[in-house]
Amino acid sequence: MRLKYLLAVTALMSTLGGTAYAQQNTTLDLVEPIAEYKIYVSEKLQQLVTDTKAFTDAIKAGNVDKAKSLFAPTRMSYEAIEPIAELFSDLDAAIDSRADDYENGEKNPEFPGFHRLEYGLWEKNSTDGLAPIADKLLADVTLLHQRITDMALPPEKVVGGAAALMEEVAATKISGEEDRYSHTDLWDFKGNFDGSEKIFILVRPLIEKNDPAFVKKVADNFNTVGTTLAKYKSGDGYQSYDKLTDDDRKVLASAVNTLAEDLATLRGKLGLN
Amino acid sequence: MSDERGAGPVPSRLMRLAVVGAACLAVASGGLFYYATVSRQSGNAAAVIKVEVGAKACTPNALTLPAGRHVFEIHNTSDRPVEWEILDGIMVLEERENIVPGLRQTLAANLKPGQYQITCGLLSNPRGSLTVTANAASDAAAATGPDLKAFIGPLSEYKVFLAMQGASLVAATEKLAEAVKSGDLEGARALYEPSRLPYRRVEAVAMRWADLQTAIDPVADYLERREKDDHFTGYHRLEYGLFAANETASLVSVADKLVADANELKARMRSMKLAPDDLSGGAARLARRLADGKIESGENAYAHSDLADLNASLTGIAKMAGLVRPLIPDGSGDLAQELDARLKAARLSLDALKSGDGYVAYDKVDVAGRRTIAETFRALADTLDKVSNRLSLG
Repeated sequence: MRLKYLLAVTALMSTLGGTAYAQQNTTLDLVEPIAEYKIYVSEKLQQLVTDTKAFTDAIKAGNVDKAKSLFAPTRMSYEAIEPIAELFSDLDAAIDSRADDYENGEKNPEFPGFHRLEYGLWEKNSTDGLAPIADKLLADVTLLHQRITDMALPPEKVVGGAAALMEEVAATKISGEEDRYSHTDLWDFKGNFDGSEKIFILVRPLIEKNDPAFVKKVADNFNTVGTTLAKYKSGDGYQSYDKLTDDDRKVLASAVNTLAEDLATLRGKLGLN
Repeated sequence: MSDERGAGPVPSRLMRLAVVGAACLAVASGGLFYYATVSRQSGNAAAVIKVEVGAKACTPNALTLPAGRHVFEIHNTSDRPVEWEILDGIMVLEERENIVPGLRQTLAANLKPGQYQITCGLLSNPRGSLTVTANAASDAAAATGPDLKAFIGPLSEYKVFLAMQGASLVAATEKLAEAVKSGDLEGARALYEPSRLPYRRVEAVAMRWADLQTAIDPVADYLERREKDDHFTGYHRLEYGLFAANETASLVSVADKLVADANELKARMRSMKLAPDDLSGGAARLARRLADGKIESGENAYAHSDLADLNASLTGIAKMAGLVRPLIPDGSGDLAQELDARLKAARLSLDALKSGDGYVAYDKVDVAGRRTIAETFRALADTLDKVSNRLSLG
């Protein structure tokens, strides 16, 4: 019996030792995935600046319909890279804060950025008074692009971003709280989803060998969310958030919450805690 | 295959024992972890730091903690969702978003000594303060170099730089080859130096592949039959044809080969594995090599465009230096400032020779002038060596 106990403990120790060794090796193996992710972020930021220019040009031209049609697609690049975009507190507030963050909500003249423009376009159905806010938004996304261009991304923020994006979906997209005036939450959802899946796909080769069950479970849940979301595709974009059925909302909520929990273990699995 | 070792049938008693063993180890390591946590936070009674976010402010609104890992429990006592952030200047160090009214969320942060701010609900609410004081552990961390993890971000960013320069290199050499093939002597002359710049920006890495280096960048002085040597290929062969022989006819195959080599270099830079020493160490080696050789001898014997070359080299060196600069441990005196000053001095030594959009021809820079530039690059190399030592890479 003693021998068996020793055997068991030895087997266990070798397993633990193996994990520690794998983590150590993993450390610099993250260089390539993080580099790929940086390129992804740079492309999204270029897209964001280009799209924001077209969106704000439409507002300044007084073209309400065109501006409305460009609001959701413009935001998708921002939502995809939110874990990185949010690293700057000043720009996060300037670009993407909500009325809740201000005393007196929408009436507060300090309320800026995307959601202030959304409020004007949908609630007031007008571009009146929006030109300076549009100019400021374009300046802010341009500054964001500049700041991130030469920045070394913190690996724990990148890897942690996979879960953060899904938490964001769970907290604000499934409830329809984010784009409360335009109901374009499913576009943002798709942006968050793409950004989270991108991170998972990039680090997946580093964990697949040691943890195939985990990888499969996460991939399956991404698949469930992707398939459910695809039902609401309309043209190049997505239907209004109001169209989401209760059943699909439940399927999404369950898969998204599980994804958020599972992805939250990525940092530990990759030795970044 | 070794992953499947445990997949075979296991006697149930053994399995039970293994589980018990695992539990014992888990408890033991949990105990050790607890001990380590408590001992590190000695003098700090509460392990979890509680912060209430109310309608107007945080309670407490000023926190003082010893350096190390802390867990915060944020209780939203206001009537709207809030996010709670620890800010270092404009940078968000850690954050917890979407805390619903009435609920609590926890957040863990590894804090270095310094002065931070905390956000408290509405953006217009005054921010609270978080003062993190030094302790024995943080002093020890400041004295030793960064761990391997700290290099992931900088090395990734350098890989991105290599990828972008690799793409520029291929595009620029292709343009040059097109001009050569169409017999456009003036056009090809104008494209010669721009096609070299991406190569010089990545030379710290490119110079490790001897086969590519001898194909892309040999100079005639080092070849037995000089300009007539069969091994006279690459950039300087093109330069010789364009600026000395004034013809493009003999250059077509040379230009095609340069494009092929540029593609190969790009592919190798993409698949290569970088090590921590490749940044400050690679930058120091390149700066010293330039100071000891090319700066005094010159390299572009026919186009005299060496100053633009050196400017591109310095851009590459500055990229590497900038990436390791944040890793220099706090207890390194003014080493980071010294690095800034050395980079600036090297830049100024080149700027002094600017002319119009570019630089004066290098044959107009005398020996003393070249030596002045070489000295600034040598001093930069010395400082980069010091940085490597402080990063425990020396």
